[in-house]
Amino acid sequence: MTMKRNQVMLAVVLGALVSAPPAAALAADSYVLGLTGDLTGRDSANSGAVADGIRIYFDRVNRAGGINGHKVEVVVRDNQSEPSRAATDAQTFVNNEDLLLMITASLSSTYAPTISESKRKGVPVLFAGGVCPREVFPPSPDPLLFCTSGYAAETDVKFAVDYIQSVQANATLGLISMAIPISRGSLDQAAAYAKGKGMKVIGHESAPPPTANYTPYATKLKESGADWVLSWAPWVTQVKTFEALRQLGWKGRFISYGHNVAEEELKRIKDPGFLVFTTNAMFSDGQPVHKDVLGAAEGKTKFPPTYLNEGWVAAMVLESALKKAGWPANRAKLASAMSELSVDLRGLRGGPITWSKANHYRQQLFYRVYGWDGAGNRIKTLQDWTSREVK
Amino acid sequence: MQTVANIVVLAAIYALIGSGYVLIYRVSRVLNLAQGELMMLVAYLLFSLATLFGGHPASALAGAVLLSLLVGFVLYVVLMRRMTGELVIAAVLVTIALGILLRGLMVLVWTGQMQRPLEKLGWQNPPVALGQGVAMSSVALATIFFAIAIYVALFVFFRYTAWGVRMRAVGENPLLAAQRGIKLHVAYAMAWALATFTGGCAGMLLALDSGLDGTMAIVGLKAFPVVLVGGLDSLRGAVVGAIVVATAEVLAIQLIDPLVSDVVPFVVLIAMLAVRPWGLFGTEEEIQRV
Repeated sequence: MTMKRNQVMLAVVLGALVSAPPAAALAADSYVLGLTGDLTGRDSANSGAVADGIRIYFDRVNRAGGINGHKVEVVVRDNQSEPSRAATDAQTFVNNEDLLLMITASLSSTYAPTISESKRKGVPVLFAGGVCPREVFPPSPDPLLFCTSGYAAETDVKFAVDYIQSVQANATLGLISMAIPISRGSLDQAAAYAKGKGMKVIGHESAPPPTANYTPYATKLKESGADWVLSWAPWVTQVKTFEALRQLGWKGRFISYGHNVAEEELKRIKDPGFLVFTTNAMFSDGQPVHKDVLGAAEGKTKFPPTYLNEGWVAAMVLESALKKAGWPANRAKLASAMSELSVDLRGLRGGPITWSKANHYRQQLFYRVYGWDGAGNRIKTLQDWTSREVK
Repeated sequence: MQTVANIVVLAAIYALIGSGYVLIYRVSRVLNLAQGELMMLVAYLLFSLATLFGGHPASALAGAVLLSLLVGFVLYVVLMRRMTGELVIAAVLVTIALGILLRGLMVLVWTGQMQRPLEKLGWQNPPVALGQGVAMSSVALATIFFAIAIYVALFVFFRYTAWGVRMRAVGENPLLAAQRGIKLHVAYAMAWALATFTGGCAGMLLALDSGLDGTMAIVGLKAFPVVLVGGLDSLRGAVVGAIVVATAEVLAIQLIDPLVSDVVPFVVLIAMLAVRPWGLFGTEEEIQRV
């Protein structure tokens, strides 16, 4: 009886082995990309939406026949923004000889192991949705590293300070960051820049992640007499500080970086004093590309479709790079194609993403300021695209 | 005066979370390090119920309260009961594993994006002016009210009800209590249910006030110094510990540097451990046993 059962099991296993298509054969017919992202960790609201944007975009591309006649296969692994998991993911990816490129969509703490593995095996890496690492910026970027993320700390806060000054020359400015190096550091730079422009800076509060109650930080900002508050931090710090300020009766204006959640949040908050500056166009613009995203995303993501812009931008850039690399592609050909690339984002941003051998970030950043139009009960553009050169 | 109001609100939040740690430790000597995740779970349950019963906020709230009691009870029966008789450290490790498991499950079910149960309930959170320029949100005011109400209810329960007295007896001497016919597992299960309820109240109120995302569990852990300062087996200590830690934290933000506020609770904790390791109102014998 036992022998018979073993024979049946052996037959089932052999049958499965024979009938299953070999992975290598599948991969040989398609462009294989590996995505290591934070799908269930503390940045999953941002990174998970980036991963969904990329997945949905390439599903659509594949249905339309793929790129150069070949489908794109995106292998997704969840790193939960844990460096050790990201290292495992990167090792798995670089050891897959068919894999052409790694995409990283998670917190910057995961970058080091990914970059290290990328260099070991010459695999290009695209950073999408998270902060861009130093190695992509001009004048001497790493030949394997590229970034499509919308934000750039130093340039962002300088733009915001300039905007505040253009609206109110004698503004009294308060700053709120999250107590993490990139957020705190960028607002220290904002303080120095604003002082240099003759603005009055009354303080820089920095809230630890997470904080049970933001009111003490808001109290300090209010009592110090700020009529403008600038924040460049994860969304939770920005919006909770703003809401705490309003609960205290503060009447000033608050400008914050517009992460992917910003559009839904503007609609929720409905406060004309809450402004966001962003490099991504909002879906309220109603451009054809936005309608494309909304149509493609319907029923295919747990996130509001307005969260998908960063992933969509990354996928558009990758599609162009793969087209240029041709078929068959390899890692070196793809990296070479990416290092001389210009992609029209069809209105998702204020201008194209252009990479060169000296710049794997972009030549110019384009910012828009959005706010809430109380009378019209809608999101409105307060300042149209303004470009800043990336040096 | 606004600073005092900020201290009171933060102390109320910490006291509610801290009561969960104390209830379980006092009755079963187990340090529940999944308290933060449990409060987050209850907040997410409220969010789901609010989505289901959007037009009936009372039903959603009542459902969440009942579910919080049920979750605590079931966790004890299914998981923690099996740790009876094992080393206390083993039970503590189980609560750590439980926390990790719950965190992962919650992201899978509800994603990591910010959720707003208040809006699902159809409520607003307008500011309340308390005079002399002091203001706070309606939910913050409700948090203070609920913290007081829950502590009064716990006091009455432990002092004047049969099961309250039995749970105290189990906490003081389980062997003797069992010999007197008290059902230990029922007492332990009740402690878990009550702790999940009180922690869940903190989670629900925090979520109603400022939204809900995956970081709430860490807020739960931030309340841990509160109970160590007050004394792990003392509800009165949890209240005093909450006031001490909240005062230190808010004053650090106001007078020193906001960055210090994250460290201050642990500075207070270290000072307390150096001077009085069993906490302000804890039992000396208990901490020596630990």
